[in-house]
Amino acid sequence: MTTTQNISTAAPGVTKPPRRFTFITRSTATLWANWKSRLGLIILACFILVAIFAPLLAPYGASQDGFERNADASAAHWFGTTAAGEDVLSQLIYGSQISVAVGFIAGLLSTIVAMVIGLSWGYIRGFGADVINFIVNLFLVIPGLPLMIVIAAYLQNGGLVMIVAVIVITGWAWGARVLRAQTQTLRSRDFVTAARFSGEPAWRIVFKEILPNMTSIIAGGFFGAATSAILAEAGLEFLGLGDSSIVSWGTILYWAQNSNALLTGQWILLFAPGLCIALLALSLTLINFGVDAISNPRLREGKSR
Amino acid sequence: MNPILEVKNLSVVYESSGFNALQAVDHVSFALEAGEFVGLVGESGSGKSTLGLAITRLQKSPARTNGGEIFFRGKDIRELDAETLRQQRQGGFAMVLQSGMNALNPVRTIRNHFIDIFRAHGHVGKSGWDARQIDLMEKVGLPKETLARFPGELSGGMRQRVSIALALSLEPQLMVFDEPTTALDVLVQQAIMDTIKSLQKSEGFTAVLVSHDLGVVLESTQRVLVMHEGRIVEDAPSRDILENPQDEYTRMLLSHYADPRAEVVELPGFPDRARRDTGAAARTSGATARDGRSSDSAIVVDHVSKVYPPPRRGEQAVTAVDDVSFTLEPGQSLALVGASGSGKSTIAKLITGIEKPTAGTVTFGQLDVAQLGRRQIRELHKNVQMIFQDPYSALNPLHTVEYTLTRPVVNFGGLRGPAARKRVLELLETVGLAPVEQFAAKLPHQLSGGQRQRVVIARALASNPQVLIADEPVSMLDVSLRAGVLALLEDLREQWGVSMLYITHDLLSARLVTDNIMVLNGGRVVERGNTAQVLQHPEDEYTIRLLDAVPNPARARGAAV
Repeated sequence: MTTTQNISTAAPGVTKPPRRFTFITRSTATLWANWKSRLGLIILACFILVAIFAPLLAPYGASQDGFERNADASAAHWFGTTAAGEDVLSQLIYGSQISVAVGFIAGLLSTIVAMVIGLSWGYIRGFGADVINFIVNLFLVIPGLPLMIVIAAYLQNGGLVMIVAVIVITGWAWGARVLRAQTQTLRSRDFVTAARFSGEPAWRIVFKEILPNMTSIIAGGFFGAATSAILAEAGLEFLGLGDSSIVSWGTILYWAQNSNALLTGQWILLFAPGLCIALLALSLTLINFGVDAISNPRLREGKSR
Repeated sequence: MNPILEVKNLSVVYESSGFNALQAVDHVSFALEAGEFVGLVGESGSGKSTLGLAITRLQKSPARTNGGEIFFRGKDIRELDAETLRQQRQGGFAMVLQSGMNALNPVRTIRNHFIDIFRAHGHVGKSGWDARQIDLMEKVGLPKETLARFPGELSGGMRQRVSIALALSLEPQLMVFDEPTTALDVLVQQAIMDTIKSLQKSEGFTAVLVSHDLGVVLESTQRVLVMHEGRIVEDAPSRDILENPQDEYTRMLLSHYADPRAEVVELPGFPDRARRDTGAAARTSGATARDGRSSDSAIVVDHVSKVYPPPRRGEQAVTAVDDVSFTLEPGQSLALVGASGSGKSTIAKLITGIEKPTAGTVTFGQLDVAQLGRRQIRELHKNVQMIFQDPYSALNPLHTVEYTLTRPVVNFGGLRGPAARKRVLELLETVGLAPVEQFAAKLPHQLSGGQRQRVVIARALASNPQVLIADEPVSMLDVSLRAGVLALLEDLREQWGVSMLYITHDLLSARLVTDNIMVLNGGRVVERGNTAQVLQHPEDEYTIRLLDAVPNPARARGAAV
């Protein structure tokens, strides 16, 4: 956008509207005004802070063992220790790093894939659209979890990169479908036709004219994708399909299950990571209520009277 | 006599968090006598619809009455609770909405819509349902077979009639019609207004007609309330408004009506076409004549037909355009008029290469429009530009005026950086949006409808086109803004030597800005010739019907005498 920069220097008297900035502040204000999404934002902020400051917060190292095995909760180990003699609280704190990171990275990547495919699919017509339609439908009809398990088993302990890849491969199709529908309604609007008359190439029409009008749907899609990514990541780890040597909430569950924690009375080993996963997913879902309010101003207004 | 509705000092405000409160209705007082037919007129944003919704208690958040009282038969309706309000809908007050035709449930038959109402209110015994339904359908001029149809099978006009019948089924004493015909075709509009008028007489309900069109209102109502910026500026019998308007604003509204059939047609700032001398540069708005470049290529439409495949299997194919030929000479202005479905917009699509003709050829200079590839279409758009009907959807809400105008300048003019910006500011000046730098930085929602349409025109001019295709460029604008936009188009055409195809159903504006006219009906040209001559001495029956449908306050006077 060199053009705009030149312009601002050429005419300093002109006030450019700070539109990107206002959009962000206005969105945040709307999110904050809605109590559900405010709660979600607070919970999410807690998890992110814990993930960032994990080394400071955790009393011990993530895989530091040598403590008493299968110990119950005590002053030294608030949540007890695992069968391998590791501190559960420390594992929980370090585990948040994986969940938050995988959630956001996988969510972001699958949103991007959904965006690129959904928008072009909605804009083009004819044979190309039919081909994309076939591929997307293929991904939609294959049940997600079995496909994930097959891919994960096939890729064999590739670690986090593999898990992210599996989640992205199985998670973009719905988003693409939603964005395609929205693109199709927007493409018949006059301003899109007008852009064609302005000599704009197709990619510019799709990404500069249509895309900015769907920001809130994309944001909603992102939070949805991040939620399912967090759940999928925990699920795969729990099934032992991930790298069981890293510390995440999923692997805590996996090892707790392996050591029959519930039978030995250490319910906290299953309960604590489960609750964390649920809370993190909940926080994103709550934020999505607020995102809905941005895309649909009717939800922003109070009751009629 | 006791007034049926009395409004005292009513104020309605729109409040939503993060925005300034907007006082849409500001201390309005008036009274309606039983059996009166009153018009409520104002331009967009005058608060007329808000007032209409308030007096029927249909307003929704964020609108809120913040003062005043509304007495319906002596009771303040602002204090009714939901259940009393629901019960009084029978024999009380009803409303027919602008989009009333979209208010029908697409998966239920018309009969079911009536039955829902009968069930909810129980004012008609089950044995009387059929008779009552048929009776109501007859009143609004629909055959009784319509009852078995689904809303999707009916035309817009028929659906609006159904929604009037539904409102009537509760025998309301007060009916508010909010722009009941605005979304409809010109010819249908007139028929619906006739139905409303005769119903009002035969049923004897009190009616309020909310409309932006003073012509329509004066033709049908006895008394008119003129609203401007939330206040009622004039309240007088229709005749007085017409013959002796007191308020400045009313006078301004009235001045924008004229009879397209008249010998001399003038609007404010718009002298009659025949009398206008060639020195039109006198009324320019600072437009810069382009350097000797005027259009040199004609658009030739030669025996063109466009047939769309049948909408459903087993139905007939739709012939949108049927063997139409015409030539748009360089510098000429040609009006293409007709009701909706007459094929006039399809012709625009054929000329701009968006659609391909089924038969015949469209040529622009040496280019055969139907044979163009993607790159050549771009070349065509450099010379043939389009002005859209709806300025509210023709501008991307997220881009500034500057961005919108920069794109064609960059794409077609090859200018970059400061040169492109200079050109953008020139364009803004040409369309009369000054101070240019302030307008360049604005987003569409900060502009009025007229200003937006000027931006749309500026964008069309950015590529220095030879031909402008204007598809109903003023039909979405307020009456007071229309003349300005039309004058701008006229100036541009004269100074820049652009040829213009002016597509419209509005014969008055066609008379003002075009030399020649073509009347289309069902895809065929039924009449063509010099605009002034055709409109003064129409020969085809369809042209005459179109002319009769033009709302004209003066004709109302003739009828009243």
